[in-house]
Amino acid sequence: MTTELVTPGDVIGKATEFKAGKGAYVNDTTIYASLTGTRRIVSPLPESLDQRAVVEVTGHKAHGPIPEPGSVVIARVTKVMARMAAVDILCVGSKAVRENFAGVIRQQDVRATEIDKVDMHQSFRAGDIVRAMVLSLGDARAYYLSTAKNELGVVSAESAAGETMVPISWTEMQCPLSGQTEQRKVAKVGN
Amino acid sequence: MAAKVSVSPTSLIDQIVVPGDVVLDLSNMTNQTIKLGSGLHQDNDVISAMRAGKLSFCKPNKYWVESSHKRYIPRPEDHVLGIVVDSKTDNFWVDIKGPQLALLPVLAFEGGTQRNIPKFEVGTLLYLRVVKTNTGMNPELSCTDASGKAALFGPLRDGFMLETSTGLSRMLLSSPTCPVIEALGKKLSFEIAVGLNGRVWVNSAAPRTVIIVANAMMNSESLSVTQQRIMVEKLLAKISD
Repeated sequence: MTTELVTPGDVIGKATEFKAGKGAYVNDTTIYASLTGTRRIVSPLPESLDQRAVVEVTGHKAHGPIPEPGSVVIARVTKVMARMAAVDILCVGSKAVRENFAGVIRQQDVRATEIDKVDMHQSFRAGDIVRAMVLSLGDARAYYLSTAKNELGVVSAESAAGETMVPISWTEMQCPLSGQTEQRKVAKVGN
Repeated sequence: MAAKVSVSPTSLIDQIVVPGDVVLDLSNMTNQTIKLGSGLHQDNDVISAMRAGKLSFCKPNKYWVESSHKRYIPRPEDHVLGIVVDSKTDNFWVDIKGPQLALLPVLAFEGGTQRNIPKFEVGTLLYLRVVKTNTGMNPELSCTDASGKAALFGPLRDGFMLETSTGLSRMLLSSPTCPVIEALGKKLSFEIAVGLNGRVWVNSAAPRTVIIVANAMMNSESLSVTQQRIMVEKLLAKISD
């Protein structure tokens, strides 16, 4: 397996001999690199029709995890608006992300039932930590997230008095200091 | 300078308090339910003032601090005068002299549908009701009352708007009718709209009347009932000759 450092634009093979894998692209009959990294050749599977080897470029730095559609993420709510809540994605699965990813939970994605009667202020507040699922890559500004499942929703929240609240039902959390209950879309934790 | 501590609940009522003054100590008052109004904050057993003003009490158990400010903190069901600063597809952005701009949904009008959305230019003055004020979110307004009727809400045309303090707005809205307005109303014909956010709108057929009413209202802030009547008499005497 040949390994050499390549930069974007470097020629790394011919389309007749290889297939372009990750970090590579074909122009006319030549394969070029699109990332900086090491050039690797991966042999083809024995049963595949196209018996060309795959040439790919793997980055020289390890990337942090990236949210993918279907993955469960932990995020912090930054702003709650009438029809959606803006969040900052903190972890994908159990790994912390290395760069800023913005997410949005729209009114219709907060829960599964009665989605047009959702009150965003009774579901999330700024500062809450939520577990959500990535629906799609969304638009240029943010991923689209959903909390429409029992195990998704607010995992940790602070009351107006400043104490971490205890969940008492799927819609309410209680402050241990003042006894006041606040409404949230609470995630079912445990089991 | 140490904060004033009240020994018993009655000692600070109707007195001027400043932020930090402890007005009530609940450990001395067991088995009582107290209702705290605006300007008071509870920290376990200690109730302290958060605003400078007069501590007021209403039987049987309501306490609050009455104060007057230039800035307005929106509360639900307040009637305010707002100025349109922008219009988007779903909402108008309205300035109500609060910490944030408020949103007026384009459908929040009597019989409001997608087909008859009003077109308000930037700068239009509106008489509005505050619907929701959630922390962290922009306040929401409406041009209907709770049952959906128009009830005098909406744009205010012609006339003149003046900025006042929140205390003066509340005084002008007090019942029985504020002495200034009563005295002016006996001799002049005009209409006013008072917003709790420190804005008042005056309109009349004659510009002279508008000016007199506006000046009289601005001057009446710290006057007693009799002083207000005398002030209005003097003003009206000047114009009748």
